[in-house]
Amino acid sequence: MNKPTGSEIRVASPLKAWASRFALLLLVGAAFGLMLIGRTNTFIVEDTRTAVTDMVTPILDAVSQPVDTFSGVIEQAESFTRLSAENQALREQNARLLQWQAVARRLEAENAALRDLSKMVPDPAMNYITARVVGDPGGAFVRTVLINAGDRNGVEKGQAAITGDGLAGRVAEVGQRSARVLLLTDINSRVPVIVGPARDRAVLAGDNSNMPELLYLGPTAKVQPGDYVTTSGHGGVFPPGLPIGVVSAVSEKGIRVDPFVDWAHMEVLRIVDYEMTGILDFEAQVGAARAAATAAAETTPAAAVEVAPAAAAEARP
Amino acid sequence: MRQEEGLWHRLDLVARSISPFFVTLLLVLVSLLPLRIADLSPIVPALALIGVFFWSVHRPDLMPIWAVFLIGFVQDLLTGAVLGPGIVGLLVAHALVVWQLRFFLAASFAVIWVAFMLVAAASLSVTWLLTCIALMAYVEPAPLFFQYLVTLAFYPCLAWAFLRGQRLFHR
Repeated sequence: MNKPTGSEIRVASPLKAWASRFALLLLVGAAFGLMLIGRTNTFIVEDTRTAVTDMVTPILDAVSQPVDTFSGVIEQAESFTRLSAENQALREQNARLLQWQAVARRLEAENAALRDLSKMVPDPAMNYITARVVGDPGGAFVRTVLINAGDRNGVEKGQAAITGDGLAGRVAEVGQRSARVLLLTDINSRVPVIVGPARDRAVLAGDNSNMPELLYLGPTAKVQPGDYVTTSGHGGVFPPGLPIGVVSAVSEKGIRVDPFVDWAHMEVLRIVDYEMTGILDFEAQVGAARAAATAAAETTPAAAVEVAPAAAAEARP
Repeated sequence: MRQEEGLWHRLDLVARSISPFFVTLLLVLVSLLPLRIADLSPIVPALALIGVFFWSVHRPDLMPIWAVFLIGFVQDLLTGAVLGPGIVGLLVAHALVVWQLRFFLAASFAVIWVAFMLVAAASLSVTWLLTCIALMAYVEPAPLFFQYLVTLAFYPCLAWAFLRGQRLFHR
């Protein structure tokens, strides 16, 4: 098992060169094929992805705990150095928050009374599933994290993932014991939001930078830096009113939002189980179409194409 | 007694011949670990690229092209990126090295590092271009550039560790 010498390479080169060139073309072709499959048949890619992620998550879970402890120790050491200043700041903040608490209590009571008066339909109940962040791929192309809770813990596709600060993202893929959360900042993320005191509707779109952009804002909307951005609840995916961030910049190039979530210290995520019927129906439809497609694919490939839309139509209430 | 030695010897050989593949897969996992360091997450080094390049240069017989494909496949699945561009990026790196293998056989460590700069640039550019095409969107290349620089800085550390490991194996 020594390094091949120059002469060995020269003798073997003509045949080997052809074989390796062929293998390269074949595998690059296969990669492009996978890209096409990923665009057209997302089910297969998603199932493979969740299967591999499920296998790896226990390892990541075990290894990321010491990493967490280590970074926790570093953070503690850092905080010791600025303990008194932090204490002072926290005291001031506490005083301010107590005032806000009084305001919130008053508004809550007033709100409840007004809702009672106008017989408003109550919002569906919210349950929470808490999960640890075990994987963060990083890189320039995606903004996602892996969590150590999945189907068996009750996590479902489309649910909102929040931290104590605000909305972090939504569940994009669910395996048995793991799930992938698509963060607000990912290029594929689109969240319906409400902006500012005028409650203008818009869509918050990520672009892999730390500051997602506000799109589709109405022409009459007046947005200023510092305006609060919260989820609108449109589409029934997220509960309305989850805090997201503040408008940080308004310019010709676009309106940017600074999310509240501290991306670097996101160790635990809460998955909001919001019992809204809209999205569940959609999931049932997809499930039915998927089962029909796989059943039909086993018999004839041509029939699968016809059966899938029919099954989706049947599933629609 | 002699037969047992033969078995151990064979096991040892198998372990050596698959170790580059598994070490590179391990690097894919390591790059997934959440480090929780402010602003580092977008610019984590492309560790799998370093592994594929290193073994394509030093032990091309132990890093065959199908292994490169598998590593890229697992990496793209686990990072949640579009499936495909990462694979092609790694294949490009491997193909460039194999194409100029005779040059690499005679090169010193510093020269190989410089060559890695070119190969990594080509590999990451291809991945970026294909990702843009697949997403039909313009992905901001600035974080990728920083990722490239961090990857270059990480190369000597990892390569040193790999070389030490290899020497231990061959004693």
